[in-house]
Amino acid sequence: MLSLLQLCDSNLPTGAFSHSFGLETYIQNEQVSSKMTFAQWLEVYVREQLVHSDGLALRLAYEALSREQWEPLWILDRMITVQSMARESREGGIRMGQRMAQLGMELYSIPALAVYHEHVKSKIAYGHPAIVFAIIAHHLGVPKPTAILSYLYSCTASLIQNGVRGIPLGQTEGQRLFQELQPHLIRATEKIEQLDEDEFGVTPPGIELSQMKHERLHVRLFMS
Amino acid sequence: MPCCRAYNNMDGWTGFLQLAVRQKLGRTVAAEVYNRGALKVSPPVYLGDPHQPCFYLMNPGGGYVSGDRYRIEIQVGEQAQMLLTTQSSTKIYKMVASPAFQETTIVLEKDSYLEYMPDPIIAYQNAQYRQHTLIRMKRGSALLYSDIVTPGWSIDGSLFRYNGLQLKTIVYFEEELVVLDHLQLRPDAHEVRGLGLLEGYTHFGSMLVVGEKATSDFIELVSDRLDTYSGCCRIGVSALVLPGFTVRVLASSTQQIEAVFETCQRFVREHWFGKNPISFRKY
Repeated sequence: MLSLLQLCDSNLPTGAFSHSFGLETYIQNEQVSSKMTFAQWLEVYVREQLVHSDGLALRLAYEALSREQWEPLWILDRMITVQSMARESREGGIRMGQRMAQLGMELYSIPALAVYHEHVKSKIAYGHPAIVFAIIAHHLGVPKPTAILSYLYSCTASLIQNGVRGIPLGQTEGQRLFQELQPHLIRATEKIEQLDEDEFGVTPPGIELSQMKHERLHVRLFMS
Repeated sequence: MPCCRAYNNMDGWTGFLQLAVRQKLGRTVAAEVYNRGALKVSPPVYLGDPHQPCFYLMNPGGGYVSGDRYRIEIQVGEQAQMLLTTQSSTKIYKMVASPAFQETTIVLEKDSYLEYMPDPIIAYQNAQYRQHTLIRMKRGSALLYSDIVTPGWSIDGSLFRYNGLQLKTIVYFEEELVVLDHLQLRPDAHEVRGLGLLEGYTHFGSMLVVGEKATSDFIELVSDRLDTYSGCCRIGVSALVLPGFTVRVLASSTQQIEAVFETCQRFVREHWFGKNPISFRKY
């Protein structure tokens, strides 16, 4: 329980605080400028992008680990990386994945993580937080639905902190928003559990385009 | 509108097409053309360039109906070059049972070049369509590939009356997965024009450009050039994991997207191959 809380803590130094995954483009365009518009953006981001990318990758990685198969992890690492067609968001995932793998190595002794970390170092794999999370959660014996929900929680917690800084919003408004988002995270977890593998990597055009346009913003708080 | 299919029973494919070209004494010639059922291809047309014949894909049935399955196999031989397009838009009609499906495999041998720019997809009311494209590239090959999705067609003129579209494009370079591009629009499930999806626009275009010459400087130049269209549409350009990039366009008409893609195509042809602009001369 405490290990899981630690893994989901937004103080976990993965670098999530420096990635907005396209949100900053919406803030600059003034499409996201209030608690209400930010809530809409988060709902769409979770439902249309996160579910089909990180969420499904995490579930499939967890299931492979349960079958004691590691090969699918390396395939998923490549799939989750190349399905991100926006360079900054893709590189954000790689960087966070590498940091999280390094950190996991410091905190735990997990054979699958050691191999993944080695693959990343020798550039056989890219590195992605969803894969690292699956490995650690599986090792800790966290049930699959809890692992998925916790991962969505940690992703959105970082995004909300970033939104609170970037829009800006009050800290209390941010917390209220986070509370209101929780039913959506539960629904997203249910959706992820039911998704067919064929649904992997579906990306909403508008969010993706904003992730691409972020590369050309003049003033930036975030790296993606 | 076609109501039935006379040829729905050939190894499960409604239409099947194989097209291979190879390089011969500085020219690219057709090496294999084979088709069955509701898919045909024009003879090669040399649009002022003996090294790069153009082929037009044709659907004699006039459109895709429920349960239709099409398979297209394209192979561009070593050092060969090809232009590929369609004779007209891909029309997807109302589906009563299973969605229409098109599977395309493209093989680009060493140092070959393919430009594939089909007409837009127009999905009619209640239509469902799945398109899977698998591209295998060898070292030194280059690719320009595009898709355009329109808001479809319905009797009363209202937009997005189709049920769902899925476009999945997968690229392997030297047997390594390098692109997994997956678009789904499901107007039957939720509002596709909203935030995060089409964001008020009606048309979506996607172009993939892969080739050794796609340096970050080149991508920057393309991006700058395409900025001139930012008045009418939203354009995103981003680098892939290998030398190459993708261009995404949200627009209000097919013509706007075509203008962006033609600019990009002209740029690649000129800078990478010293080729002149071409016109497909369809209309």
